[in-house]
Amino acid sequence: MNFEYSEKEKVFRDDVKKWLKETLPSTLSEKVKKYQRLNREDYEIFMKNLNDRGWLAWHWPTEYGGTGWSAIEKHIFEEEIINASAPRIVPFGVNMLGPVLIEFGTEEQKKYYLPRILNNEDWWAQGYSEPGAGSDLASLKTRAIDHGDHYIVNGQKTWTTLGQYANKIFCLVKTDINSKPQSGISFLLIDMDTPGIEVKPIVTLDGEHEVNEVWFTDVKVPKKNLVGKENEGWTCAKYLLTFERTGIAGVPYSKSALNLLKIISKKSFKNGKPLIEDPVFSSEIAELEIDLLAMEIFNLRIVSQASEGKAPGMESSLLKIKGTLVRQRTTELLRKALGPQALPYLPEQFDEGWNDMPIGPDYAGPIAKQYFNMRKISIYGGSNEIQKNIVAKASFGL
Amino acid sequence: MDFSLSEERKMLQETIARFFENHYDNINKHHINGNLPNGFDNNLWQESADLGIISALVSPNFGGLGGTGEDISIVFELIGKSLCVEPFLSTAVLSNTVLTSIPNPKSNLISKIIEGNLLISFAHSEMNSRYEESHIETKAEFKNDKWLINGDKSFVLNGDSSDQVIVTARIEGNVNDRNGIGIFLLDNKEINKRSYNTIDGYRAAELKFDNSSGELLARDHHALKCIIKANSSGALALSAEALGIMQICFDMTLDYLKTRKQFGKSVGSFQAIQHRMVDMMLEIEQVRSAVMLASSTYQSDETLRDKHISAAKNLVGRVGKLVAEETIQMHGGIAMTWEYSAAHYAKRLIMIDHLMGDSDYHRDRFKVLNRI
Ligand SMILES: Cc1cc2nc3c(=O)[nH]c(=O)nc-3n(C[C@H](O)[C@H](O)[C@H](O)COP(=O)(O)OP(=O)(O)OC[C@H]3O[C@@H](n4cnc5c(N)ncnc54)[C@H](O)[C@@H]3O)c2cc1C
Repeated sequence: MNFEYSEKEKVFRDDVKKWLKETLPSTLSEKVKKYQRLNREDYEIFMKNLNDRGWLAWHWPTEYGGTGWSAIEKHIFEEEIINASAPRIVPFGVNMLGPVLIEFGTEEQKKYYLPRILNNEDWWAQGYSEPGAGSDLASLKTRAIDHGDHYIVNGQKTWTTLGQYANKIFCLVKTDINSKPQSGISFLLIDMDTPGIEVKPIVTLDGEHEVNEVWFTDVKVPKKNLVGKENEGWTCAKYLLTFERTGIAGVPYSKSALNLLKIISKKSFKNGKPLIEDPVFSSEIAELEIDLLAMEIFNLRIVSQASEGKAPGMESSLLKIKGTLVRQRTTELLRKALGPQALPYLPEQFDEGWNDMPIGPDYAGPIAKQYFNMRKISIYGGSNEIQKNIVAKASFGL
Repeated sequence: MDFSLSEERKMLQETIARFFENHYDNINKHHINGNLPNGFDNNLWQESADLGIISALVSPNFGGLGGTGEDISIVFELIGKSLCVEPFLSTAVLSNTVLTSIPNPKSNLISKIIEGNLLISFAHSEMNSRYEESHIETKAEFKNDKWLINGDKSFVLNGDSSDQVIVTARIEGNVNDRNGIGIFLLDNKEINKRSYNTIDGYRAAELKFDNSSGELLARDHHALKCIIKANSSGALALSAEALGIMQICFDMTLDYLKTRKQFGKSVGSFQAIQHRMVDMMLEIEQVRSAVMLASSTYQSDETLRDKHISAAKNLVGRVGKLVAEETIQMHGGIAMTWEYSAAHYAKRLIMIDHLMGDSDYHRDRFKVLNRI
């Protein structure tokens, strides 16, 4: 065992750092640092640059444009893009649909869609959840009825993240209502410009628009847009979810939040001394750091077990649970560190180009908002309760 | 021991409950009140005065009908249940406590407060004072027969719309000295301010004093005593408010768990979920007990008063986090939305831990008071 980074890995890190420094526009990283609202172009610029460098689909198999990086290199890469305050890579196309197409798609689908994902010609949304089908995804009701060379789709998807920017959506639809829930589901690729699709915003508790409802009324979808076999979409659906889960653990996000926490605890005062010198608070920070130290190794162990282009199994559920709890804990301690400075809320501060004076220190504005927003990570991608059910079922033999 | 409320108090509770039920049935509407000029509804404030709700928070010695710990708890538990944003805390609790506890109480101002005709903010917090009672950088100086105040106050609740403002300022000594503090009353109109909404939908302001003249209300140990009492009364009010919110969160979650079906069953039928509801329930009962205890000793000696209030507020901070987070988690995605009122309750519950001392502050204060 050796937990030191090798020379090669260090050089790799420097390369990534240098590249980010050269290509990431500072106006963009400033927006990310300030938690300002990103528009479609903001995400796209970064993803285009990544693709030009051959790094966008870093976890795909090399024959499809992947990088062939080791688990450690992937980890370093993720850390560096977060350290550089780059926008997040919108996961729905490259991280979710990509691997599904590679595993289950036809040659034609791969040829058509994979390059479009890489070139950012398509912005994909994830059409899984429905009002009545959350944790029990298989109970979904959106119907696709066979009309020879096409389906007619009717129903509603919800919680569609960044659906307001999407031109494509992959959906789980019901193609056979008579069989058992899981067996009548199909995986369909749908063009958002098709007549009969309506997108309505959902405002979240922090006042932001990041999710949507997507309504389908008599939407015509060509049969060639079916991925995998008809009625066997559940296999694709589950395969995709393991990829979704690993990302949510977000170890690099927690590490960067921990750094911020330390900075804020030095700048905040309690009884005339820096908060970081308070015995109780500094113990809480230390325990968080201990959790994170272990998590980083845990994460690397799991990721390196999975072979190239494949997702890990049940362990990804363990990672998702612990990862989200640790990440939420960072937002909680950040909030606590601020004390009353966490109260003011200036929605306009999150608009591009906002240049007014903040209330209090410049790092304070987004903290409480971020704490509330991050409640979502233990709910989506399969809630933490559902992950526990998966682990118990898969490993205890009870 | 008697754990029940007197007949009189029960009637008060019913009247107030009816008022809140009638006016605050749509929580989301009130959170759009962030857009009202003053961040709250003036007509509702006036109406609550006419009904005697403000009076219920003021002692009979000053023309009120209540003002005991029990009264504060009754009113604020209902305020919590309705997420009422009207200036009860700033004017009717904090400022009222100061004005009635100074050596020469301001009876004339209190009567106007009871009538709903006067708003007074309490400006004690500063940007770097955290929750401390004697951390005061704002300066007061006696010059040409006048007290002049210089400095900044932060997070002043309803500080944008109040007619007057009670300001704590340092007459002499260093930032954290317990002596040399003064409390002053200023006309708020001439003061430079920047107002904003808080993340939980209330209104606050940053105030800037530039040779602003004020009337001295109390100084030195009198002043410190008043500040401590005001903070304690606020912490008691907020604890009761939090209790009301917790109850609503619990009820809403339970209702939802009964009706929401996944896997062909109500989500509430899963034992993993039931156990967590039980945990929430018993912690809320702990908070209820601590709030009752704190209300019952509110009028006793300062050490006991503050010890019990700190116990309640510490518990409220810890349990508040549990209840807010579990409410959202057990609802799933729906509680992440603005449209669903549980989200607003959860936000207020969390942010109550950022007012009048958080759970850490009150744990530390409890430790100190316990040694006395
Ligand atoms: C911000 C956000 C973004 C999202 N983005 C997307 C997206 O882009 N695309 C998409 O398809 N979906 C998305 N989702 C939806 C997300 O996947 C669902 O919210 C999630 O699956 C939970 O479903 P639900 O919200 O309906 O909760 P429910 O399934 O109704 O669950 C309610 C509660 O019951 C618990 N529970 C349910 N069943 C059990 C059980 N058997 N045992 C124990 N506990 C149980 C749950 O864990 C939860 O705590 C998003 C959600 C959010 C909040």
